[in-house]
Formats: sequence, C-alpha cells, structure tokens
Amino acid sequence: MRTKVLLSGAVVAGAILVGIPGVAHASGSAEEQECLLEQVHVAEEIAAGDTHAEIKTCEEAPNPILPAVDEMVWGTLAFLVVFFGIAKFGYPAIKKGMDDRTARIAGDLDAADKAKVDAETVRNEYERRLADAKNEASRIIEEARQAADGVRRDLIARAEAEAEELRRRNAEAVAGERGRVMAEMQGQVASLAIELAEKVVEASLDREANLQLIENYINSVGQQRA
Amino acid sequence: MASFALEFPPISHLVEWPAFLFEDSPFAVNKITLIFLFALVCTLSLFIIGGRRQALVPTGVQNLVESSVDFIREGVVMQTMGHDGLSWVPFLTSLFFFIFFTNITGIIPVMQMPANARMAMPIVFAVMIWVLFIAVGIKHQGPFGYVKSVLFPPGVPKALYVLVTPIEFISTFLVRPFSLAVRLFANLLAGHILLVTFGVLAAALWAAKPTLVIVPLPFLMLVFLTGFEVLVAFLQAYIFTILAAVYIGGAMHPEH
Repeated sequence: MRTKVLLSGAVVAGAILVGIPGVAHASGSAEEQECLLEQVHVAEEIAAGDTHAEIKTCEEAPNPILPAVDEMVWGTLAFLVVFFGIAKFGYPAIKKGMDDRTARIAGDLDAADKAKVDAETVRNEYERRLADAKNEASRIIEEARQAADGVRRDLIARAEAEAEELRRRNAEAVAGERGRVMAEMQGQVASLAIELAEKVVEASLDREANLQLIENYINSVGQQRA
Repeated sequence: MASFALEFPPISHLVEWPAFLFEDSPFAVNKITLIFLFALVCTLSLFIIGGRRQALVPTGVQNLVESSVDFIREGVVMQTMGHDGLSWVPFLTSLFFFIFFTNITGIIPVMQMPANARMAMPIVFAVMIWVLFIAVGIKHQGPFGYVKSVLFPPGVPKALYVLVTPIEFISTFLVRPFSLAVRLFANLLAGHILLVTFGVLAAALWAAKPTLVIVPLPFLMLVFLTGFEVLVAFLQAYIFTILAAVYIGGAMHPEH
C-alpha cells in the first residue's frame, strides 16, 4: 500500500513538474523578438499603402532532426545515474533476492527429496520388519501346530497303549476268570454228571475212574469248541 | 455545412520546448530534460522499492522488477550473448527501463511528449552502443582480429571481398548506429504526430459542429492510438535493447 502511494505520488509529482513548462513552441532569441517588432511596423506600413514594403520571416524553427546539446547532456547524465544506481545497488539487490530464493527453493526441494528417501527407507524397514514378524508368527504357529500334533500323537499313542494294556489285562483277566470258571464248572459238571450218571445207571462206578473219564471228555469238548 | 479551419501546428511546435532554466547554456532545462529526470526517478524508485522487499513469493513492485530483470536476462542476454553476456544485464536493464520511461511519457496525461521523439538521446544511445560494441570486439579479438572478422567474414570466396568488405564496413560501422537512432526517434516522433493529428482533428470537429456524425471517429482513433503507443513504447525499448545485445554479443563471439 505504502509503495503504491509512493509510486502514485512520484508519477503525479512528475506529471505536474513536466507539465509546468507549458506548450511547445519554437523558442526565440532577443534578436528574433526585435525582428518581429520590426515586421509589425512593416505590416503597418503595408496597411498604410506602402506597396514596396515586404514582411520577412524572423523566426527560423530549429531542425527537429538535429539533437539539442542540453538534452543530450541531461539525458546522458540521467542515464548514467540510472546505470550507476542499477549496477551498484538495484541489480545486485534484486539478483541477491532471486538467487536466495532459487537457493532456498533448491534447498527445500533437496530436503523434500531427502525426506522422501528417508521415508522410503523407514517404510522399507517397517515393511521388512513386518514381513519378519509375519514370518516369525507363521513359524511360531507352525511350531505350535507341530508341537500340538506331537502332543496329540503322543496322547493318542499313550491312550492307545493304555487301552491296549487295559484290553490285554482285561483279556488276561477274562481268560483267567474263564479258566477258573471253566475249571470250577468242569468240577461241578463232572460231579453233576457222575451224580446224574449214578442216578441214571444207578450203578456205582469207580469214582476216580469216572472223574478221569469225564474230565477227559470235557477237555476234548472244550478243545473242540475253542 | 459549417466550414472550419483546421490548422495543424508545424512539427517544430510539437517537439521543441523552450528552456526555462539556464537558458542558452549546455545545461538548459526544458520539458525534455525534466522527462529524463522523471525516467531517472521512476527507474531508480522501482529498483529501490523492488530490491528492498525480499518476499519469497514476489508481488507488486518486486514482482514487476524481478520479472523485468528476468526478461532481460533470459529473453535478451541469454538469447543473444549467452553466459558470457550476463555481466551486461545491469547495463541493458538500465537501457531498457530508461528508454521505456522516456517513451511512455508520450501518453501520460499532462506530459504527453515522448523524450525520444527528440533526436538527442537516440543518437547518444546509438553512439554509446557503437563505441561499446567496437570496444568489446577489440577487447575480445584484438584490433586486427576484430576488423578482419567484420570486414572479411570467413567462408566467403576471396573474389567477393571486393563487394562484401565495403558492404560490411558500411552496414556495421555506419548503418548500425544510424538505424538504431533513427528507428527509435522516427517511431516515437511518428506516434507523437499521429496523436497530435487526431487530437487536433477531434478538437476541431467538436468545435465546428458537435452534432456531426463523424465527430467521435477521430476521438476513437485517438484512444486506439494511445493504447497503440503503449505497445510502441515497450516494443521500441525492447528492440533497441535486444539490438544492442546482438551487436555487443556479435563482437564478443565473431563465429555467430
């Protein structure tokens, strides 16, 4: 805002200053003005009837193509001041500002690139660790699964062994019991048979011989059934 | 139809300004010299204000000045002189701004006089550029080498030097400064005369018969030409600057 006011003020002041000199005209010297007065008298004589009188041109306009020395001097001085001001102060300040900005932007871009590379590195590291963790988890799960399988197999094997042992014991027990029962039953059956035979034949046989006979028979029957 | 006398002022009345200080001395002050001071103040003000602010994102005057310097550096110097010409940026920037401000006064109300419609500064600038490119040529190639590279361009059959050498001499050492000065001076003088012509015509028509249908036409043309003169002011400053760069760059690098 201040800058705009300053610039506007400079433009207005300059415009007023430059406007002061008034309208352009062919400038005239003192001789030319004297000549002009003479010509006014000549004109009066012509008006009075003097036919020999003749008005001549007093003022000769300068050739607009020829350079004016004063303008060359002021213009050259003004340009030299402008050049000196720009070369010494204006341009270095502007150039420094532009170079600083370029350096700053380049630095920011480098920093951004570095940050990007760092972030990439961190991300890769993170992904690597994540992959390691996943692998580790998979390995642990696999181990656990294998351990569980082992435990399961052990348990099953142990259970099967125990069951087998139990079955074997039961079979032995059953066999023993069956043997005992069979022996007992053999005895009883023999006695019953003897008694029955005695009653049937009512004949008294040799008890020991009959027992031996019956046992042999039962054994033969038992072997046949087995 | 009402008749009216259209009196067009002589050319000298359009461009000759009386001195009002130090008359009849080489330091006489007239409107043209004040325009030079105006250009001086404007150019330095721009650079002082633009150089003082160092915002990261340039705006306003800083943006204008930085864009202009960048334009001179990249659009003029790098295109015509290359890296070796970067030390000429301050000079060419001064030249561009000074010529532009002394041109643009032709359409600034109250001033309405382009200082370069006078021959003084165009001829000073042209001679300055002439001296500079010869000096640069001698500095970079030596006196003999420079004259040889200008007058006897390589690749031309020797028999043709009879024709080429005088042409090169005239075009480089005589026509260049003349064309530089006349191009700037004539363009600005022509523009100024056009503006005055249509201004006088518009005023005369208005004074003679305001109800005439064609009364607005000269005024509209005046408005159009005023806008056109802005373009001319910029374009002539740019042309002068780039030609100066081309001449100086050519003296630095004869192979181009």
